[in-house]
Amino acid sequence: MADKKDYWSVKSTDVYSALGTREQGLTELEAQQRLKTYGPNELPTHAFSTTQVLLRQFKNPIFAILIAAAVVAGVFAEPKQAIIILSMIALSVGLGFYNEYKAEKIVENLRHNVSIKAMVTRDGKVSQVDSRLLVPGDLVSVYVGDIAPADMRIVKSKDLQTDEATFTGESFPVEKTSDRLELEQPTSQQLTNYLFMGTVVVHGSGQGVVISTGKNTELGAISRSLVRPHPETEFQRGIKKYGTMLVTLTLALAISIFTLNAIIGTNTLTDSLLFSLAVAVGLVPELMPAIVTVSLAQGARRMAKVKVIVKRLVSIEDFGNMNVLCTDKTGTLTEGKIILRDVYSLGGEKDQRVLTYSLLCNSAVVGENFVGNPMDVAIWDYAVKNEERESSKPYMKVDEVPFDYQRRMMSVVVSKDSEYTLIVKGAPESVFAKCTHADVSGRIEPLSAVRKAVDDKFYKLSELGYRILAVASKGVSAKAAYSVEDENELTLLGFLIFTDPPKKDAHEAVTKLNEMGVAVKILTGDNELVAKTICDDLKIPVKKLFVGSDLNQMSWTEVKKVVEETTIFARITPEQKLDIIKALKENGHVVGFIGDGVNDAPALYEADVGISVDTAVDVAKEAADIVLLEKDLLVLADGINEGRKIFGNTIKYILMGTSSNFGNMFSAAAASVFLPFLPMLPMQILFMNLLYDISNMTLPTDNVDEELVKKPARWDIGFVRKYTLFFGPFSSLYDFLTFGIMLFIFGASIPAKAALFQTGWFVESFCTEVFVIFVIRTRRIPFWSSRPGKWLTLLTVSCVAFGTILPFTPLGGFLGFTALPPEYWALLLLMVATYLLLVDAGKVFFYKICKF
Amino acid sequence: MIDPELFLKWAVSISGGSVFLVLVSIYLYTNSKSKRSKTRQMIRRALSLPRDFVFVWVLLGLLFFYIITIEIGSASIFAVGNVTVETLLILYLLRNRTKSE
Repeated sequence: MADKKDYWSVKSTDVYSALGTREQGLTELEAQQRLKTYGPNELPTHAFSTTQVLLRQFKNPIFAILIAAAVVAGVFAEPKQAIIILSMIALSVGLGFYNEYKAEKIVENLRHNVSIKAMVTRDGKVSQVDSRLLVPGDLVSVYVGDIAPADMRIVKSKDLQTDEATFTGESFPVEKTSDRLELEQPTSQQLTNYLFMGTVVVHGSGQGVVISTGKNTELGAISRSLVRPHPETEFQRGIKKYGTMLVTLTLALAISIFTLNAIIGTNTLTDSLLFSLAVAVGLVPELMPAIVTVSLAQGARRMAKVKVIVKRLVSIEDFGNMNVLCTDKTGTLTEGKIILRDVYSLGGEKDQRVLTYSLLCNSAVVGENFVGNPMDVAIWDYAVKNEERESSKPYMKVDEVPFDYQRRMMSVVVSKDSEYTLIVKGAPESVFAKCTHADVSGRIEPLSAVRKAVDDKFYKLSELGYRILAVASKGVSAKAAYSVEDENELTLLGFLIFTDPPKKDAHEAVTKLNEMGVAVKILTGDNELVAKTICDDLKIPVKKLFVGSDLNQMSWTEVKKVVEETTIFARITPEQKLDIIKALKENGHVVGFIGDGVNDAPALYEADVGISVDTAVDVAKEAADIVLLEKDLLVLADGINEGRKIFGNTIKYILMGTSSNFGNMFSAAAASVFLPFLPMLPMQILFMNLLYDISNMTLPTDNVDEELVKKPARWDIGFVRKYTLFFGPFSSLYDFLTFGIMLFIFGASIPAKAALFQTGWFVESFCTEVFVIFVIRTRRIPFWSSRPGKWLTLLTVSCVAFGTILPFTPLGGFLGFTALPPEYWALLLLMVATYLLLVDAGKVFFYKICKF
Repeated sequence: MIDPELFLKWAVSISGGSVFLVLVSIYLYTNSKSKRSKTRQMIRRALSLPRDFVFVWVLLGLLFFYIITIEIGSASIFAVGNVTVETLLILYLLRNRTKSE
């Protein structure tokens, strides 16, 4: 068989033999054999697997540290320590798995597995066949409303028009014929004798021979390119950098503690090893993967309430941090539906007669709803909206000469009060050719006298992206039947102007997105004037406009410069969309792309955040990270806001966990060197860590300050490092102060009083570590100008209460704690208060003076 | 009875922690200011240094106070000192935040 790209140049009568078939279609036997060779007509999709979700939970260096620590503890016969570490792993993995599994289930429900039937001729008989069983060579018939089930070369057509909007971005129907084409390197748009899988028949009928199925179709090629790992999101890259920083810090600290203890400490090697391991574990924010997943999953549920479905949880944070949104025009900024904008006479005024005539010369089926050619339907919609529906009532249709692509017009003969009128409606160039006169504001003039003005008007409107139909008429005498021959010596009456109108709330949405720090760029296959007209209509400021063909002439460096300055990219190909997104990403932006067509799928996949809509083609939804149940930019703004809240809460956990853990573990390391006993038992360190993590579990529900969601935030590992370096020592300072109080006020400086020392430090360390959440969670005055979430407050206070009564309980005894003297509690209260106020003063310095 | 050797080690540790924090503060301050600053503003910034570093002065004061009170071993002096510092910090925070928020 010849390459499928060659079939456009083959005569329709020769297509059968070229594809090894005939006018009667394949035989059933041939079809079965070809099915074995080519496989079913299905597209590759992403499958949801429970095991994969579970395994994904372990893809974090934090678990490597924890598992290693549990194994070492097990080997050195410390089952209690191993059990605590394993509990942490179980808690984190369990939480993460539960939430991610639920989110995947929601997404799974989005995928519709509808079986599509195709009308196929085999053995000379026409029957309905499951489209998955189609094979190359099958003869398929299509009618209005059908979705092309495979890529086909058209062999017969009758006024066939398809909607290829999802495929090429073209919102107006495309004419399809069986004529052979003489083209060198045609684009998909130029292949007018091809039907592409996924496109919809909107007018007429046709028959085609299947040239490729499943993954070999144009649609399949796009789907195939998407079955590969998603590029890492900005958030994932940030988490990876953070993990590396943490592992380095942990290993360095654990090795230093072990070495120092082994050389100058008074503990055994095993004790030193277990202690350094516990410190290492203590430094790790074990629940971080779970907290992140819970935050994301809860956010996804909240976003679902505003009609935003999150398919890939990790994309939520990038969604919030997105600072450039690339969007298509059709259906996002425009309604994605053709409407009749105006009806003009040649004099430029609104003309009732032109509208009435276009209602009469109309192929739409009129019932409760209007069905048929989108432009004819748009005329009826316009008439209903303007209460002109009845204007055609006085007329009676006598005859009709249907539309065909040779004439590019249709005509009807109507009668009223015994007067017969022939009305013609069609492509302006074709109608002009049949006219001899023109009606200019009631004056009948020779067309030649006004032709230049008419042409100018027509071209001007066309350049602005409007679709134009011309209406003409003439009086005729009554006769039995009328034909194409009667379509002459017409009088041109006026124009019908069609457009895909801008959405009502698009201006508001774009303004809101700009206020949120998101720059909107328009990527369209339409011409620059159409795109500019829409932007002007929507009052979207256009910084610069660029045409796709110019991009090809540029170096990559120039492209990267151009994408920064340009608002509209017109006449661009899907490949160029991809390049624009790549260039923006390389420039350091977090890029979102919204699209719903097949041709948008690669760009959806490449963008940091691929956004599609529920009504989009499956391949676009498959490629997207986020699916909007309404194609509405305002919905998007709500989703972005939610994404920013989630990012804000995740960052809070990371900043708090790292800095206070770092401080505590640093002081533990220092104390272990000069104390004659361990400052805290390994098991106590692990238990404190577990309790701290539990107190943080409601962090995803915390309130986020307004200023943090106003602008996109970025993952800045340098900031995390500085934050840790600055706030970590605060915790160490108060740890040292507690050491001083325990050693020199309560006399716990001998091994016999080790339990008292350890208990005193446990309580202080835990209280400061947990309460500091309220200070660090906001840049404002805690409680006064920024209220924490009620669940966070409740759980935090409960955990602190539990931590303080723990020494008096049997569990406390089991963990090696002892009762503390009453004076200690008074001193603790003062220490905690001073610590929190000092951290808050430090916060003022950090954010205000250093301008972070 | 305080073990002098242990007390020295403790005092060195807590002072080391404080000095580390002060050094980090200086690093952050100079690092972020140098990116944005112009030579003309140098003098003005030098003059604002005492105000910018209020929390550092409080920190050093607290360190001194903690070492002294722990050496004395008096819980009541410790309590009074803490309450005083807390009051000063609250006043400082309120004064600063009302300007910026």
